[in-house]
Amino acid sequence: MIELRGIVKRYGRLVALDHVDLSIAEGERIVIIGPSGSGKTTLLRTINFLETIDEGEILFDGRPAGYRQDRKGRLVLEKQRVICALRSQIGMVFQHFHLFPHMTVLENVMEGPVTVKRTPREEARALALDLIGKVGLMDKKDVYPAFLSGGQKQRVAIARALAMRPRLMLFDEPTSALDPELVGEVFTAIKALAAEGMTMVIVTHQMGFAREMADRVIFMDNARFIYEGSPVEVFSGEMANPRVKAFLESVL
Amino acid sequence: MRGRPWVAALTLGLSIIVAAVPLMGADSPGTPDGYALLAEASRLVQEERLAEAVAVLRKIPAPAPGEDAGLFVRSRIDAAKILLGLGDLDGASASCHEVLALLPSNLEAKNLLNEIRDARTPRWVKFLRDMKTYLPTLLRATGMTLLLVLATMLISPVAGLAIALGRISRMRVVSGVFWCYIWVFRGTPLLLQLFFIYYGLPSLGVTLEPLTAAILGLGLNYSAYLAEIIRGAIESIDAGQMEAAKALGMTYWQAMRRIIIPQTYRRLVPPVGNEFIALIKDTALVSTIAMVELMRAANQIYSATFNVFILFQAAIVYLVLTSFFTVAFRRLEDALGVYEIR
Ligand SMILES: Nc1ncnc2c1ncn2[C@@H]1O[C@H](COP(=O)(O)OP(=O)(O)OP(=O)(O)O)[C@@H](O)[C@H]1O
Ligand SMILES: [Mg+2]
Repeated sequence: MIELRGIVKRYGRLVALDHVDLSIAEGERIVIIGPSGSGKTTLLRTINFLETIDEGEILFDGRPAGYRQDRKGRLVLEKQRVICALRSQIGMVFQHFHLFPHMTVLENVMEGPVTVKRTPREEARALALDLIGKVGLMDKKDVYPAFLSGGQKQRVAIARALAMRPRLMLFDEPTSALDPELVGEVFTAIKALAAEGMTMVIVTHQMGFAREMADRVIFMDNARFIYEGSPVEVFSGEMANPRVKAFLESVL
Repeated sequence: MRGRPWVAALTLGLSIIVAAVPLMGADSPGTPDGYALLAEASRLVQEERLAEAVAVLRKIPAPAPGEDAGLFVRSRIDAAKILLGLGDLDGASASCHEVLALLPSNLEAKNLLNEIRDARTPRWVKFLRDMKTYLPTLLRATGMTLLLVLATMLISPVAGLAIALGRISRMRVVSGVFWCYIWVFRGTPLLLQLFFIYYGLPSLGVTLEPLTAAILGLGLNYSAYLAEIIRGAIESIDAGQMEAAKALGMTYWQAMRRIIIPQTYRRLVPPVGNEFIALIKDTALVSTIAMVELMRAANQIYSATFNVFILFQAAIVYLVLTSFFTVAFRRLEDALGVYEIR
């Protein structure tokens, strides 16, 4: 469905992504793990063009998308309209939620369809209520985010992303900012989504969750994919790659 | 004699009459005795022996029927002036009436009597009388001040927002132009800007009504201030908000309009409220470009009445306005903060 080829991303002299290739198939669940600063967030952000790449190409359904070359051969983002259309097919859930504080839960979830897709309010409302119900927050629908717990906020953020009916969901450490006792409710929401066959890329430090969710686990280090494999291979305790082994031992 | 102009005037008047005596000749119809008394009084006034001067003036007798009344009238008028100055209003009044008994239409005496009546009226009665006369003017002027305030309050946030958005534009030219605007209008006195618009523009072929010039000047100036405040508020919104909006597929302007700008409202109220309080007082500056607003009206009425209370009254109107808006902004801030935990 979406393919990254030879992606290079630099911040000045620092290379954040070093010739990364990733192919995401329909319905696939990819979990990315790796030490801090290895480029996981940067990778997710390039997928929905929040970060512009310096080299490589991104393909949607086999066709290059989002970039063109300027006269000097450098990659530049396509017009805003094109980028927005691509982004609206991809949902993103942030570590720090980034709910819109001036809108109630219901308004947060309705915002995407109403503003971006121009969905009629009534229709958007029905869809939003359905999604709020699915993440178990019907009783909070008219509450402002400031009055929610971290776990509740993250579930609203998931519902908000889903309201755009994305083809792909990106999760960047969705539980890292949560107290341990609130992690479970967010995982439950994501698992429910997985059960419906949603394609997703998840960055997480929760190895138990990674093992349970992943079709494929990718280990990133130093801006590169060091290892890719099935969860069984990665978590069986017989990891051959010393870097991955060291990392797993440090987090488990 | 400093501080007593009437003494100086009087001395001068008496001296002229005394100096005129020799020219009138010894056989003029007045009493030679009377001229001597007038000269004596003049000397006493010069020595500031005022009570004695009055006594001397009073010695000048009433003219016999058919005789010239000039000397007598002079003496009683002068006596009345001195008595008025000494605060003996009854004495002064009696002296005037002596003149009027003889010459019922004597203007000088009548004017003096008016002055005496005025001196008898208590201050508060005069204040109320002035109030009644000038209240309509004052109210109209207050209305004008309010109009200036409200017009600027409507114009400057809208223009300020536009300037702020231009200022944060990634297009260098756009942001540069608005930077210049803010630089000029915040860096020069409002008074100078008003003068330029009202007195300077006509020489460039643009002539504006005082009201238009005043609203334009205040609007341009306050837009620059508000632009910087609004820019600060926009930049204070967590960058994650823009990211989240973009991740949903919003364009930059959609994100600004729906997500970023609405979140600044609450944060804007206190600093913008401060600016608007300053604005209420700054409207006084447009009195310099032929606008009759509260300050100018108070000034005019004060010049006409020398009544200090008019200034207090203007102060009270300003205080009422500033207090009202202070409370209003407080309420607005609370109302806009419903989504925050307090
Ligand atoms: N906007 C930026 N400007 C400069 N450097 C950046 C920027 N964003 C990220 N980096 C750098 O790029 C590298 C990769 O960062 P990234 O956030 O992708 O790591 P990560 O794997 O998500 O780490 P973590 O597990 O801590 O979230 C880091 O060295 C980081 O300092
Ligand atoms: Mg990260």
